[in-house]
Amino acid sequence: MNKETKRIIVVLVGFCLMFISLIVYISYFQVFKAEAVKNNSYNKRLWINEESILRGSILDRNHKVLAYSEKKDDLYKRYYPYGRLYSHIIGYSYREYGKVGLELQYNNALLNINENAAINEIKNLVIPTTEGNNLRLTIDHELQNKARGLLKGKKGSIVAMNPVTGEIYAMVSLPDFDVSNLKEDWKEISENPNSPLVNRATQGLYAPGSTFKILTTVAALGTPNLDKDYDCVGSTKINGYIFKDYQGKAHGHIDLKQALVKSCNTYFTEKSIEIGKEKMGNVADKFLINGDIPFDLPTKSSQYPYKGNLDKTDIAASAIGQGKVLVTPLNMALVASGIANGGEIVKPILVKEIISKNDKVMKSYNTEVLSQGTDPITAEKVKEMMVEVVKSGTGTNARIKNIEVAGKTGTAENASGKSHAWFVGFAPAKEPKVAVAVILEEEGSTGGKTAAPIARDIMIHVINNIKD
Amino acid sequence: MSKKGIRPKSPRNLLFVFEILALLLLFVYEGDKIDRLTLGTGIGLVIIIYLSNYILTKISYGDNYIFLIVTMLISIGIVMIYRIDSSLGIKQLIWLSIGIFLFFLTYFILKYIRGWKNFIYLYIIASYILFFITFVFGSRKGGAINWVSFGGIAFQPAEITKLLVIFILASYYSDTSRWKELKYGPYYLMGIIYSFILLLFLQRDLGTALVFYGIFIMIQFIYEEDRKLVLYNIGLFAIGGILGYTLFDHVKIRFQAWLNPWKYIERQGYQITQSLFAIAEGGFFGRGLGLGYPDFIPVVYTDFIFSAICEEMGVFTGIGIIMLFMILVYRGFKIAISQESLFYKILALGISILFGIQSFIILGGVLKMIPLTGLTLPFVSYGGSSILSSFIALGVLQICSEEIKIKEEFDEQRD
Repeated sequence: MNKETKRIIVVLVGFCLMFISLIVYISYFQVFKAEAVKNNSYNKRLWINEESILRGSILDRNHKVLAYSEKKDDLYKRYYPYGRLYSHIIGYSYREYGKVGLELQYNNALLNINENAAINEIKNLVIPTTEGNNLRLTIDHELQNKARGLLKGKKGSIVAMNPVTGEIYAMVSLPDFDVSNLKEDWKEISENPNSPLVNRATQGLYAPGSTFKILTTVAALGTPNLDKDYDCVGSTKINGYIFKDYQGKAHGHIDLKQALVKSCNTYFTEKSIEIGKEKMGNVADKFLINGDIPFDLPTKSSQYPYKGNLDKTDIAASAIGQGKVLVTPLNMALVASGIANGGEIVKPILVKEIISKNDKVMKSYNTEVLSQGTDPITAEKVKEMMVEVVKSGTGTNARIKNIEVAGKTGTAENASGKSHAWFVGFAPAKEPKVAVAVILEEEGSTGGKTAAPIARDIMIHVINNIKD
Repeated sequence: MSKKGIRPKSPRNLLFVFEILALLLLFVYEGDKIDRLTLGTGIGLVIIIYLSNYILTKISYGDNYIFLIVTMLISIGIVMIYRIDSSLGIKQLIWLSIGIFLFFLTYFILKYIRGWKNFIYLYIIASYILFFITFVFGSRKGGAINWVSFGGIAFQPAEITKLLVIFILASYYSDTSRWKELKYGPYYLMGIIYSFILLLFLQRDLGTALVFYGIFIMIQFIYEEDRKLVLYNIGLFAIGGILGYTLFDHVKIRFQAWLNPWKYIERQGYQITQSLFAIAEGGFFGRGLGLGYPDFIPVVYTDFIFSAICEEMGVFTGIGIIMLFMILVYRGFKIAISQESLFYKILALGISILFGIQSFIILGGVLKMIPLTGLTLPFVSYGGSSILSSFIALGVLQICSEEIKIKEEFDEQRD
């Protein structure tokens, strides 16, 4: 083969590589990028049906209308009567600003269009679609309103759910924004340093503080040879780092139950070294920390990075919910649900049913078990301890008359210097009807003092008012 | 299929089946308003393509696959263009008929008239005249001055210059000794090609400038004995690119729109993002012919035809088109390797590179793999100049695939 022929082949190989790279790129684009690209609000295809189809309404669990469309000047207009209350759940659907929240996730259902264009086309030949479907949520409007009222003026989030069915009763994230007034507020919303657009309930990552001790307790119960007794002197040194108890108070000789009830930091930091990061990590995994929580709204994953480089100080800090552990409020509500529900963690549901215009239920979403967080016996033991937390420990502000409440408080140090106040729990302890997670961001006080009373009010409302 | 191996006859029948199916789909889409025009266009397309493939096997003993590949590409193109705008589809069919006529005409002219390698000066002068015409009579379309209109018929002179450049390169490199005797001989060619590129740059026709450069550098890489010239060429391209980026806003804009089109979605990034929407919506199997919204993309029937095809016929069809171009280029190179006459060898290479580089630049562009520069997708996009010049080029490639009588071109015989 002469020189020219060799070079010709070099160029030919170059061309083949170029064309193959096109094929690889287009496949990569289609598999990994297309979904996000399609949902961009500048994609006119998202709006093409909007002109001819009446977008369905969104209702709460009691059929109260939370969002609806009406024809105005030959165009369908979307109305949100409760402005701010559902900014993170329902979101909005406007040509100028696109779609977010359930308006985006359930766009096809709301417009009654099929994913498959061909089927859609055939369907349209037979009966042209003019009205979309309604969504019935699991949200209770009264409770949602109450929850937002309890949180008003603060930053933070509340998630209240049924621990057995997974139905979300209320989900609040503050600060929020007024979806019915986006045009005037847009600039302020998008520039606000407190990021009102972020749904803190599903996407806010916080240090869980002492609420994480629930998981450390589960891990401790699952470690047979662990000495459950401990002499607390108010502080301990691990790997050169000093961990202190709240206000440096010594708890004396305590067992696991008393440690959780009194929220003893030194107990859990010391014991976590014996439990080890693998065991701790496995428990965290089972409670969906480090995993994706399948949900109707976009979520962020909580994290307990035990597979990375954790030294002894890190393990000890994470045992009390500090250091490298970060969780979402939704995840903590699921942790409480898991303990309430005999260790079984169910999938959180926000949309109960899709209902057609002639009131036929097109699709209903049923309870699904996501993970077995722990075994029923361990769950029962932890539950007893959490009941004691509210009865006589740090969570007494969550007490409800005649009803046994289980819970755990948390006060999480963070970079801002002002601690987050946490409370997670459920009630009634014997037959749980509601699990709740409350976080007050940068509140600067303890969870027992500020978060627990809010959780109590939520639980009372659910027990008294939500029947089915 | 006989035992002698695969003959062009059977792929021709497959093509026939594809066309019948595609046209049936088109009729389903048109539904109630099937008119004689659609029917006539459809039948016309099938007959023209089937007949021309049949005739070619009778008259040319060269490579019959290249024409087959091209007719497949053009069939996909016409079905898509017709679906977007039926009047354009009919026009495209007329262009196709003229194109096929020119293909055979070119074939016969080159078959019976020899000595094309001696007219290098003519090619150069003709190229400059075409540039001159563009500058004087040209009008701006889509940012670039590359259209000339005479008596209502608009055409792009650069489409013809592309072929002239290939002829210039072939004439030059098939007779290098003639130029070596001159002082600075080898630099003349570089000067001329770069002057073309500069002129295209001034017309803002970046895509064609890139195609010219691509053909030049690759032919030079294969045939230039003075290797430092190749390095100079690459160096000059880098410098030119940087200068172009800093001096000309239209280059900068294209580059930014490539890096992050979403940021400039309302202006510079509009076209490319619309293209990405279409491809993303299509999925692997497409929305179905007539069920997408390709008309959301600006100039969809020329530069962005590929995105429209991906939306309605699916990414798998898109991959099919990419592979057809790959095979076309491969066949072209194969023809070049087996061609004995150096002049025709370089012509075959030049034309294969032209098809390859032009399709790569526009496909990569609409996919946002490389910065977008306006170019037609050869044989698929709508456009008279593009179709006609591509068919002329294909005619030249067809003749290159045959054995050129050595006694006429004995001076080119090499070891």
